[in-house]
Amino acid sequence: MIASIMIQEAAQATTELQAQFNDVFSGGAAAALMPFTALAVGALLMLLVDIIKGGAKLRPVVVIASLLTSAFCAWNQIGEPASAVLGGTYLVSSATAAFSLIFAIGALFAWVYGIGYYEGKLQEFRGEHDMLMLSATAGMILMVGAGDLLVFFIGLEILSLPLYSLAAFRRARHDSIEAGLKYFLLGAFAAAFFLFGAALIYTATGTVNLAELASLYQGEVAQSPIALIGGALLMAGIFFKVSVFPFHLWVPDVYQGSPTPITTLMATGTKAAAFGFLIPASFLLPPAATGIIAAIALLTMAAGNLGALVQTNVKRMLAYSGIAHAGTVMLVMAVILASGGDSDVRDESMNATLFYMAAYLFTSTGAFGLLAMLEREGEHMLTLNGLRGLARRRPAVAGAMTLFMLSLGGIPATGGFMGKLYVFMLLVKQDMIAVAILGALLSVIALGYYLRIIVTMWMEPLGEGEEAKLAPVTLPASIVTGLCVAGVLVMGLMPGWLLGLLG
Amino acid sequence: MNVPTEHLLILAGILFSLGALGFLLRSNLIVILASVELMLNAANLTFLAGARSHSSVGPLNLDGPIFALFVILVAACEAALGLALVIAFYRQKQSVDIEAAAELKG
Repeated sequence: MIASIMIQEAAQATTELQAQFNDVFSGGAAAALMPFTALAVGALLMLLVDIIKGGAKLRPVVVIASLLTSAFCAWNQIGEPASAVLGGTYLVSSATAAFSLIFAIGALFAWVYGIGYYEGKLQEFRGEHDMLMLSATAGMILMVGAGDLLVFFIGLEILSLPLYSLAAFRRARHDSIEAGLKYFLLGAFAAAFFLFGAALIYTATGTVNLAELASLYQGEVAQSPIALIGGALLMAGIFFKVSVFPFHLWVPDVYQGSPTPITTLMATGTKAAAFGFLIPASFLLPPAATGIIAAIALLTMAAGNLGALVQTNVKRMLAYSGIAHAGTVMLVMAVILASGGDSDVRDESMNATLFYMAAYLFTSTGAFGLLAMLEREGEHMLTLNGLRGLARRRPAVAGAMTLFMLSLGGIPATGGFMGKLYVFMLLVKQDMIAVAILGALLSVIALGYYLRIIVTMWMEPLGEGEEAKLAPVTLPASIVTGLCVAGVLVMGLMPGWLLGLLG
Repeated sequence: MNVPTEHLLILAGILFSLGALGFLLRSNLIVILASVELMLNAANLTFLAGARSHSSVGPLNLDGPIFALFVILVAACEAALGLALVIAFYRQKQSVDIEAAAELKG
């Protein structure tokens, strides 16, 4: 009796599997997964290239080719209708494609800054380094495209495991190993929270598919205590990744100890990937949590901005500034919950998040990238003291840095300003005016430290003996910095053009 | 004899809390790694308990066991990477105590 049921079910499962195989080979799924596949194949190729004699010359080719292929395929997906492939486990839409594009561009920029940064050191491990970077980027793409919790979890780990090792990449240095270890321990802790939450949600509902969960959560499942606890634990796990209060304490240490190009990747990619999942999965939190989420967002902004005010190490200051920015994007989550999960509001929130993260990508990559360039002159260049009078020695670098600081601070005519404006407009539309005012006030505090960097660079005299050392600026890094400057200005002056692309 | 699902969930909750407490209170890195494993296994137990309770009232539900298999895989990767980091840390500090990680602060 049991045997016959099992045979029947096995037969049914085989038919379903057959259907899914057809789905794969029909090309729909393969095309949908291309941004991911290009990077995964690139990462595997990198392992091969690394062991053949003379393969080191091919390394840049593999990195650039796979990142550009991924970006190109993602670009082509923008504007196409949303669809689900592989039995609903992977979703493609304009939003996921735009996120994939952000990740590929961000990784490419971070890699280019790495060329000069690693010059003459750690060369024997560059193959591993690039392979891990490609793999982490592939993980980000999988995270935003995930149609169920399992795929998201796998994406999260494909992203996190490489980043733990990359954080500890300068392994002769105590601070780098410490950064890797702290990142790993807290990351594994957060992953366990995510998993236990997912397991509880599964116990309450019997599925891990997001679309099925979304329809089940319309009903009474949403009230079951197991589902509520599960949702809270799962969200806590993801909140760690986006570094919101009270899960933000690891960020400054990890960002400071990691190699600067890797910090760039963490600051822009990881956060955007986690937000790309948080917004579609926001239904896992009950509307009653609006107040808590808004409070978390405001506390995150406060913690980030107040923490940054007292820093003298600029890399650490930018880490705190990243926390504050995560808080601003968290406000979007509060908007979605306040609307009761209305799908129009969610789409608009998704666009706002995308815009904000794209602006943050250019700004933050540029700022961290310039720090990576300056760091070659010596580690003191990472401190406020080292930046004294930079404008006299390197007007171009100081000028670009000034623009990035203005954009981070949200000064009009920059991408950062438009991103903030978009988020606060959503809040006002949802009648959360008190939250909007508090958020705007907290953003003003941030100007305190951004302006301090600008003043240090332009108005203070040179430190002693600073004139002599001038490490040459590499051409690729200059080009990427130029692109970041252009990105910040285009997003600030012509935001409509970019939003039009998303529809 | 059939253990009710609630009991399994309570057991998993206890295991998870023990793991979390171990993570937060102990300072030996090896014990901390073991605590994380305990938390992951609490999740696995929950997945299997959920799969059993859903399969007993409806069609066979394999999402949970498959999830648990992937968790075991990832836990192995995490353990490998974690121990590698702990070894690198030990080489520098001659200690596996988390208190020794105090270079970065402020």
